[in-house]
Amino acid sequence: MLSMLKYLIVQLDDTSTSFCHYVNDRKTPKLIPLEILRRAIIWSMKENLMVQFIYPDYELPEEYKKAIDEIDHVDIISSNNKDISLTKVADIIIFNSINDTGGYKLNENKVYVIRGTFNEIISNKDIIPDILPKATRLNLSITDIPALTPQIETEYAEFLDSLGEKVKEEYGKNHPVQINALTDRIMLDEMNNCNAGFEHITLSPDGNFYICPAFYLNDIQEGICGNLNEGVKIKNENLFKLTYAPICRECDAYQCNRCIWLNQLQTLEVNTPGMQQCVTSHLERNASMKLLAKIRELGEFMPGKEIPEIDSLDPFVKVIKNKY
Amino acid sequence: MKKEVGFVTPEERDQIQKLFERRNGLNELAKILTANDDELYQKLVKDMGETATKFQNWWNEMGAKYNWEAADNGNWEIDFNDCKIYLVTP
Amino acid sequence: MSKIFEPSSSWKSGLAKTVTFIVTKDCQLACKYCYLVGKNEKERMTWEVAKKAIDYILDNEKQFKEESVIWDFIGGEPFLEIDLIDKICDYLKIEMYRRDHHWFDSYRFNFSTNGINYDSDKVQKFIAKNREHLSIGITIDGTKKKHDLNRIWKGEKPEKGSYEDVVRNIPLWLKQFPGGGTKVTISSADISYIKESVLHLYSLGIHEVNINVVFEDVWKEGDDLLFEEQLIELADEIIDKDLYKENTCSFFAEFIGKPLDPEKDNQNWCGAGKMLAVDSAGNFYPCTRFAGYSLREKRPLIIGNITDGIDHNKLRPFLTLDRLTQSPQKCIDCEVASGCAWCQGENYDAAQTSTIYQRSIAICKMHKARVRANNYYWNKLYRKLDKEEEREEFEKNEVESNNPIC
Repeated sequence: MLSMLKYLIVQLDDTSTSFCHYVNDRKTPKLIPLEILRRAIIWSMKENLMVQFIYPDYELPEEYKKAIDEIDHVDIISSNNKDISLTKVADIIIFNSINDTGGYKLNENKVYVIRGTFNEIISNKDIIPDILPKATRLNLSITDIPALTPQIETEYAEFLDSLGEKVKEEYGKNHPVQINALTDRIMLDEMNNCNAGFEHITLSPDGNFYICPAFYLNDIQEGICGNLNEGVKIKNENLFKLTYAPICRECDAYQCNRCIWLNQLQTLEVNTPGMQQCVTSHLERNASMKLLAKIRELGEFMPGKEIPEIDSLDPFVKVIKNKY
Repeated sequence: MKKEVGFVTPEERDQIQKLFERRNGLNELAKILTANDDELYQKLVKDMGETATKFQNWWNEMGAKYNWEAADNGNWEIDFNDCKIYLVTP
Repeated sequence: MSKIFEPSSSWKSGLAKTVTFIVTKDCQLACKYCYLVGKNEKERMTWEVAKKAIDYILDNEKQFKEESVIWDFIGGEPFLEIDLIDKICDYLKIEMYRRDHHWFDSYRFNFSTNGINYDSDKVQKFIAKNREHLSIGITIDGTKKKHDLNRIWKGEKPEKGSYEDVVRNIPLWLKQFPGGGTKVTISSADISYIKESVLHLYSLGIHEVNINVVFEDVWKEGDDLLFEEQLIELADEIIDKDLYKENTCSFFAEFIGKPLDPEKDNQNWCGAGKMLAVDSAGNFYPCTRFAGYSLREKRPLIIGNITDGIDHNKLRPFLTLDRLTQSPQKCIDCEVASGCAWCQGENYDAAQTSTIYQRSIAICKMHKARVRANNYYWNKLYRKLDKEEEREEFEKNEVESNNPIC
């Protein structure tokens, strides 16, 4: 039994939508073989894993739908998915452009993810407030975190503060909308990261397990961690755990994705975040701190919960200070 | 002959060590710098004089402060590792 | 009064930035244990690359706040590029001074050489010119037999050892650098020569022998016992003949072989990441061991280049690395952990994935053998000093720790 794994992500096709920081540029469909899909489903049942399917925009063949229906699962699709019946039942809807939200009929039972660059998100800052009254949960997923500059830092902080005002308005209307970048930190008392390679792995169309879809799509061979024949083999698996991450284990930006792929991309180590990921998460953490105070202007809210002031946006500074 | 005659504080050691290093640096720079680079050459000449003065002043001040044993034809040496002062005589 | 000869502490230990120029990947020798698997005659640093590297480093003084600097030159054999080195050092001196850089008041030029062309006119002229700022170590492995076993000329058939070509320069070197120490590397085939080699080096006038076993996984069954036996015999010689009064051998250090506190003793052993190396292509590395020619299995770990500068994100794993996070549980629980060293580059090269966070434990049994012999050495020495009522004085001179020799 795989005691640490909680769920399996299945990248159904090479063109399956991204749902996170990574960008999927692949345009040529390559569907996971049906046999592998069926075996993965049975394997997940035996290992007691929840399964999340990430769909391409085209409609899957009927036998695939039947196979998927055999297991309790989560459907992740893009807002441009052509399968109307799937769109109705899907759990998580991805907007790969913030402009795709225009005219999209939102459903309060679904989770929505808006993916975009800093500039796309910041320059369309009026769009998100319009969505808030109709959404229950909205995730923002920045697709160019390594591009963070001091100027973007300022603009993103301002964006988050202004969005916080709108969230406060929703709370005032007794509609406690959730936005990952603003409200998650308020609710959390410990790290709640992505945990790829620890709580979940990804099965890709090539039949291999990967740490996450980004490792597959970026051809990172070291991201391969077994297959259905040989089982899960995560090399240096400790390094995916929080306790083996010297910066993150000292951090209190609990809502941070702690994206393993971004770590690998920026620092060449899966357990070490780059400065830009840390700073982005701390801008969100600090915006959460301000939002908590704003919500309390409306009345008592989560007494005892405090997000302390900090003097650095990068926990690396604290770690180094303690170390040397 | 070398005889231990006293010590200085680590801070005082740091002062003379820096001057010692600078003096050595200037001397070795002087071997390669030519008058063709007039501005730098002038800077070096002035600096060598000033550093030599500071160097001597340090010994004068410390000698007066600690009243170390002295000798004709002798000179003091410092061990940068442990801040000890030695009187070296022929 | 009894005296122990103390190993010299490295200059500005812990306070100096080491900047290494990999001036060439060529060497006259082809030492069998050399970790440089990619040596070649083509990759020689040009003046343009060296100058650009220097300009980048000196232009960015705020990034390099260490109070001192060691400008280190490595190869291959660095003195093959003495003309370039001379030009680099002149430029460094002038530019540090011109820019009023704080390192002008605290710098050294450091060399590890095979010693073959130490007495050449060019090298000697260079030494005379930079005498006050030089640190030069010549590598000699011990007796002719031991030295020639590994340190052989490149491309010679039959094999030709280099001992005679090196040993002739030792007197000149010791005259110019009294107290100069040497670095000896022990691999599996060398174990049986340890005692005679160390004693031979003492007899040459080299009083400080820094010696270590290679970190690579080369050890065979029984090597640890042979190693222990050699060290015990060496201990007997050093103590019985009072050699400890004027000589030191880094295998014997009192601090080794104790358990380590998880909190207080959690620092990384290796300085990779606090150092900077640049190669002929103008790429920056956290240490020379991460350059391509040093690696058997992994790709070079490049942290920037002379055009774009240092990517500080790639230094974060090095700077936050600690002992516990990279060590397996058996090392954390080890009762004789202190003094057990590791090389971050070898860890990276030997790891299952491209990480610096997986400690190689190939030297485990060799360390334990060293600890046993070390315990024997100190027990025997203390007993002797007790009998001669000199222990108290001896312990005053006790060395607290020795620095890792990379």
